[in-house]
Amino acid sequence: MSSKTDKPVMRSAAWRISLWATLAFACGTLLVFVFLHQFVADDIGRRSDAWLSGEVEVLGDVAEHTPKDSVYDRVVGEVAELAGKEVPNRLQSDDVVNDSVFFLQEGTDGTLKLWVGAGNGEPNLKAIQAKNLPSDRPVDLHVSGFSTPFRVASVRIGDGSRIYLGLSERDEIRVLRNLRFRFFLVWLALVLFGFGIVFFTTRRMLSHVRGITEAASRIGRTDLSTRVPMTSHNDEVTQLALTLNHMLDRIESSMHQLHTITDSLAHDLRSPLTAIRGKLESSLSTTRDGEHAEPIASAIEELDRLTDFLNKSLDVAEAKADALRLDRSEIDMDELLRIMIDLYEPSMSERGLKVQLMSSGPMKIVGDAALIHRMIANLFDNELKHLPDGCSVTMKLDSQDDATTLLVEDNGPGFPLEIRPHLFERRVKGRESNGHGLGLAFVEAVVRAHGGTISASNRETGGAVIIISIPLSAVEHPVAASPEVARSN
Amino acid sequence: MRLLLIEDELDIQRFLRHSLEEAGYQVEVAGSVKRAEQLAVEGVYDVLIVDLGLPDGDGISAILRLRQLGVKAPVLILSARRSVDDRVRGLEQGGDDYLTKPFALAELLARLRNLIRRNNPSANEATRLRVLDLELDLLRREATRAGETLQLTRQEFVLLEYLCRNAGRVVTRSMILDQVWGMRIQPDTNVVDVHIYRLRGKVDGKSQQPLIRTLRGVGYVLKDR
Repeated sequence: MSSKTDKPVMRSAAWRISLWATLAFACGTLLVFVFLHQFVADDIGRRSDAWLSGEVEVLGDVAEHTPKDSVYDRVVGEVAELAGKEVPNRLQSDDVVNDSVFFLQEGTDGTLKLWVGAGNGEPNLKAIQAKNLPSDRPVDLHVSGFSTPFRVASVRIGDGSRIYLGLSERDEIRVLRNLRFRFFLVWLALVLFGFGIVFFTTRRMLSHVRGITEAASRIGRTDLSTRVPMTSHNDEVTQLALTLNHMLDRIESSMHQLHTITDSLAHDLRSPLTAIRGKLESSLSTTRDGEHAEPIASAIEELDRLTDFLNKSLDVAEAKADALRLDRSEIDMDELLRIMIDLYEPSMSERGLKVQLMSSGPMKIVGDAALIHRMIANLFDNELKHLPDGCSVTMKLDSQDDATTLLVEDNGPGFPLEIRPHLFERRVKGRESNGHGLGLAFVEAVVRAHGGTISASNRETGGAVIIISIPLSAVEHPVAASPEVARSN
Repeated sequence: MRLLLIEDELDIQRFLRHSLEEAGYQVEVAGSVKRAEQLAVEGVYDVLIVDLGLPDGDGISAILRLRQLGVKAPVLILSARRSVDDRVRGLEQGGDDYLTKPFALAELLARLRNLIRRNNPSANEATRLRVLDLELDLLRREATRAGETLQLTRQEFVLLEYLCRNAGRVVTRSMILDQVWGMRIQPDTNVVDVHIYRLRGKVDGKSQQPLIRTLRGVGYVLKDR
């Protein structure tokens, strides 16, 4: 899978999609865990409470029925100690002293009567007395000196004293912490793995889309024979490619129809034109006397103008439909303009017109040499026909980014106001003009066919300015050096 | 010179045959690919003119078929299409030439001469051209008229050289644009005329006998007698 894209991965759709998908996945699993955690914590709590309540009952019973003699402390103490060894959720600890359970008997006078557990039991008693524990259910009790709270159940026995059984929540907390830590590791791995999978699948999918985009953009305005690539799966992307290709088929077929029409029109007109011209020429060559030759010669000239008009009309018509066929080769605009100026300079200086070229050297574009030649000739013809004597024309050739810009400006009267909004339309010409009104329409047609832009306006200081910009699209089309263009004089 | 004209339009057939015979060619005419194949097998030709739109096939495949039959003569393709087909371009690179309809007879004749000359390369190209009292030194890029050096620009020299090479024959404006400036354009202004006018000023200026003649509706000719 090749990714030729030059934009960073972070800005690709695949990245965004995987980010969102991962976020949703992470939130979902987190939520599930929170429920699970709650459930486990509740369950552990419930078990501890049940044990506490049961044990405290038993201990209370034992304390009540054990005679209050000298062995009372030992008997109850041992029972309490034994109970402490059956603590639920207890983790194996090497400590000799069991600090997770305490047993405490509080006398009626509020003094510590019996203590089994770590320490001397005073802080526990103080905490119990400060909190005034209810006797029906176990509650949390914070004891100074212990970092984790105790769960404490109590029972009042016959002699009025109270028995407290406390279970440290340390082990419960440790179990839950352990659970959370393991979950976090698994969750992180899952999320990263999920992100990876989503990212690579979407990227793969979108690379097909990118392939389609690249192929579609390669299919130029006039080259309709290529098709976008199809994948072997029958998924949405393939459907997209299929739809695009169907659309291209239809466009190509209507384009083909247009070509057939213009071609047959051209053909049907050209053959009789050829015959007429041939006959006129034959009769011109046999007519020696000037009086008869004159109308024949002028008929031939009219015929040539008609042919030129026919060519331009059809070109403009095809270009308006984005169907002008280009025969591409490399053209040096700088060289072309110099040759054109060389060609037109005498005609211009006859009229006192000056022409100047400002160029920074060779500037290659890829285009149809014949069309570009005719386009530039049209621009010169335009100036020659419309400029009053003594004006000057400046041409600036410049390259910006990936386009060549040609600016043609003069200091003549500019475009007549009434035609300015319609400069590039067919048959639009100034009142004074004697052309057939195709000049600028043709120029625009050629520029369009090359994927360029054109603008025409009047300068503030007077005079017309035409700006043509043609992209240097040399990459997509193989460059065939044309001998006609590579001429040097 | 034997020439095979493959063209189905009767009008064009007729005037081409007439004009080509007048220009000194022996013309055989075929109105279809089938007939052309027959003629090509029977006879040997120096040059062929083939119209692209034929009733029983496409002109280019006809040319390729004739090539298979062993016809080596160069071909001038006549096309009524506006855009030049890639295949025509291919043939052009192979030494053949094309012309779009309608065309000036002078241009057709010039292209035919070119094709025949290219096909039978004569001895070394001359380095000097002489037409009456006009003399061109192609190596030193110098032109003299009656022994007097003409002050020509580079472009004017190229133009004069082209006229001299075609002395006595008509050259059209589009031929001049094609051969001297290297572009096939049809300016609707008199750009070529002005160049000729200037050149004439220098070549014929002081002389009693003007060499460059304008033939209205046709083009120019450099007189050689």
